Amino acid sequence: MKKGSILGIIIIAVAIAMIVSIYTDSSTYASFNDAQKTESEIHVVGELNKAKELHYKPIENANYFAFYMIDNDGTECRVVFNGSKPQDFERSEQIVLTGKMVGEEFHASKILMKCPSKYNQDEVEVTESVASNV
Amino acid sequence: MDIQFQGESLFPGQLGQFFIILSFGTALLSCISYFFASKHKDDRSWQKIARIAFFSNVVAVIGIGCCLFYIIYNHLFEYHYAWAHSSRTLPVYYIISSFWEGQEGSFWLWMFWQAVLAVVVVARSKSWESPVMTIIMLCQAVLASMLLGIEVFGERVGSSPFILLRDEMNAPIFSNPNYLSMIADGQGLNPLLQNYWMVIHPPTLFLGFASMIVPFAYGIAGLWQRQYKDWLKPALPWSLFAVMVLGAGIIMGSFWAYEALNFGGFWAWDPVENASIIPWFTLIAAVHVIVAYKNSGHSYFTATFLVLISFVLVIYASFLTRSGVLGETSVHSFTDLGMYWQLVAFNLLFLVIMIYFLISRWKELPITKKDEETYSREFWLFIGALILVVACVQIIATTSIPVFNAMFGTKIAPPVDAIAHYNKWQAAFAILVLILSAIGQFLKYKKTTPKVFYANLLVSVIVAVVVTAILVYVTKVFTNFIYILLSFSAVFALVANARVLGDAFKGKWKLAGSSVAHIGFALLLIGALVAAATNKVVSLNSSGSIPIAGFEEAEKPGENLFLYIDEPMEMDDYTITYVGDSTSGPNTYYKVNYEKRDGKTGAVQERFQLTPNAQQNPKMGLIGTPSTRHYLTKDIYTIITSAPKLDDPDEHDHNHEGHDPNEGYEEPSTQLVNIGDTLRYKNGFIVVKSIDRNAALQNMPLAGDDLLFALQLEVHAANGEIYEADPKYLIKNGNSFDFARDIEEQGLRLRFTKIVPNEGMELMVYQKPLPEKKWVVMKAIEFPYINFFWCGTIIMTIGFLLAILRRNKELKGKIV
Repeated sequence: MKKGSILGIIIIAVAIAMIVSIYTDSSTYASFNDAQKTESEIHVVGELNKAKELHYKPIENANYFAFYMIDNDGTECRVVFNGSKPQDFERSEQIVLTGKMVGEEFHASKILMKCPSKYNQDEVEVTESVASNV
Repeated sequence: MDIQFQGESLFPGQLGQFFIILSFGTALLSCISYFFASKHKDDRSWQKIARIAFFSNVVAVIGIGCCLFYIIYNHLFEYHYAWAHSSRTLPVYYIISSFWEGQEGSFWLWMFWQAVLAVVVVARSKSWESPVMTIIMLCQAVLASMLLGIEVFGERVGSSPFILLRDEMNAPIFSNPNYLSMIADGQGLNPLLQNYWMVIHPPTLFLGFASMIVPFAYGIAGLWQRQYKDWLKPALPWSLFAVMVLGAGIIMGSFWAYEALNFGGFWAWDPVENASIIPWFTLIAAVHVIVAYKNSGHSYFTATFLVLISFVLVIYASFLTRSGVLGETSVHSFTDLGMYWQLVAFNLLFLVIMIYFLISRWKELPITKKDEETYSREFWLFIGALILVVACVQIIATTSIPVFNAMFGTKIAPPVDAIAHYNKWQAAFAILVLILSAIGQFLKYKKTTPKVFYANLLVSVIVAVVVTAILVYVTKVFTNFIYILLSFSAVFALVANARVLGDAFKGKWKLAGSSVAHIGFALLLIGALVAAATNKVVSLNSSGSIPIAGFEEAEKPGENLFLYIDEPMEMDDYTITYVGDSTSGPNTYYKVNYEKRDGKTGAVQERFQLTPNAQQNPKMGLIGTPSTRHYLTKDIYTIITSAPKLDDPDEHDHNHEGHDPNEGYEEPSTQLVNIGDTLRYKNGFIVVKSIDRNAALQNMPLAGDDLLFALQLEVHAANGEIYEADPKYLIKNGNSFDFARDIEEQGLRLRFTKIVPNEGMELMVYQKPLPEKKWVVMKAIEFPYINFFWCGTIIMTIGFLLAILRRNKELKGKIV
């Protein structure tokens, strides 16, 4: 057999192994209800419930941050994160959590958040003092 | 009704917009003229037009840059770009970085470098000028279209940096003719980007991206003009240049991630990082296969394919980072500017050009049918390139999960532990690539005698095994078999290439470039491996926290450490103390003292201060910038993760006149005391020493029957300080008065207000509420042997530089 063909076979084998690996390593975006049913770590996408209090009291525990998130199905769940409060968390528009349910709480190992972009963003800041003397 | 707006300076924007249109038009004209110049070689007039158009394009591109800089520098907030990316408080050197914070600015940067490189191509490429410049100017036209910001058939093409704020946003204030005077300041630069790396990393990275067009253009030109073999020679130094600059740019990004961003490391397999490393891998592979082809005539198609696909992948990378498609997976990609389909079209255009030429010229390509020798360098160079490509496919496949989701409507989430997922694969590929870079040095082109090959190999293997054993022992990476294997292959590559370098000193200097680059690469990987495998969080929180039921046990202990000011804390080998902070501009620098004591004698072995800073950004919250102590063998990295909100100084400046003199104190405690009594107060205790019946008052002579008593008190503060105080009590003309004593340092006011016969003296103790103690929450990580990583990078870049010099001399025919 030509060396080219042997190489081809090896590459195809590696490629198959890679696809299997991506398939087994990848997870799914789920809801809190789905998370209840599984033991493994999953991604949950949702929004911060801004009406409820964010719990981060570094004086008591610098590694305990808790908040309430509403997932895309509308289920609310208390989320606990073993770390400090991510910067600018209050302004987040969308949160992607990685973690699993422990009892009634979702223990997040990673938090990725999306903040309002600079482009379609809020309003122009206006100074009132100048506006009054027009 | 048109409003006459006041105070706007519209000229720089209009001029800039003119330059954008000019740059688009001239790029297109130049592209078309170069196209005809390539077809009609005898007619010089096409080339003349093309060159004039090209040089006007260069002027236009520089013009765009000048206008934009003028707008940002002068804080003309009537322009959206200046308002969105800069502010008045920004120092000048960050004004440069705000220039390319936005997509428009970074597209401009790309155009600018492409124009600069094109000048070099025009000056040096001789007969290749027309076909090569056709492709480069096509790309330049596409890039210019990204800045147009003009509506075509109802669709906006591109996004102009010169768009006015009032056109971009709908807000009621824009109906006011004097709106400009109401805009206090711009949005400013993202504090994460306020770092010197932001000033130099993007230009380097974009120079790398931009320079990849040149080998691509040579490749297409070669196929188009049917000069299949000739194009590789001039394309090789260009490819080496692109690989060198892009590699340096990528690693600067990792410096930045390490030194300024709070990622806690230098490489995180973030999609944005991956997007830039993918074309680097393929072009590295291309460089190796081109060299193999030059020496043996094998692997022509692979060389061509890799050169071409590298630039297509550069465009794919810019699609990933600029289209917003990575939104859910990446921390730092751009958001969509409404150019999604334009970016897709950019990608497809160059992909189609590549496929078209490869297919239409397929039968004419100089592809050898002969099989390569197993004992030949070209065969193993080819295998090495193949492994790089497979490694690349793995990165592309996982990074592109969001793209597949967008294409097929699926909802697959990326791997939960992305770093482990990538490392698992990339470690294996790295081992293979390193071993090949060693073995390749013992092989000759075409044919090697197996006996000589194995004899040479054996010596290097033995040396490598010994060195690996020492390295693994010293750096403590023996916990994992893959780590050991990876260390061995890196050391093996190091040893083998060092041998070649030794030969280079004996006169075979031609080979120095590749061996230096390989040594650098091996060092870089050793550094990355050791730092990534053995870095540890040293600020593990075992004390000072109230454990939350059912939580701490299940999870690892917290990685953040809580520090009160002036209260030392044991951390790993160090005693750390937060001693204060200072504010400069928007940044607050938190001073943390590190002290290392000898375990037995208690003598201080070393002492240093780190000042991680944090910006309390009103829009983004607390943004920490780490501070790092560098040692030869390790780094100690410290970052603030939380701190109390800074007081607004305005709140304390209220003047209250004519109020109760005891304002600011809490409700007093009133007690009857006798000599020798001890009273507690918040921050210590007070001892009643004695009573002085013959006290005197300054400025107030006593009359005959006046009585004045002074209570001698001793105040012992918790910190060991002792203060004396003597509040006085006066009975004058039957009325009683008292003279309080304040101890400012302790926030105390003491009043002696009454004498109750046979019971004691009445003492009123007023206290100010204790100021809230300052605190910070920080995280510290130790990175061992990270200097290998940085050192390897520099050596690798030098290696590329040597290789470029050599290939350039070859091109000029000085050596063969």
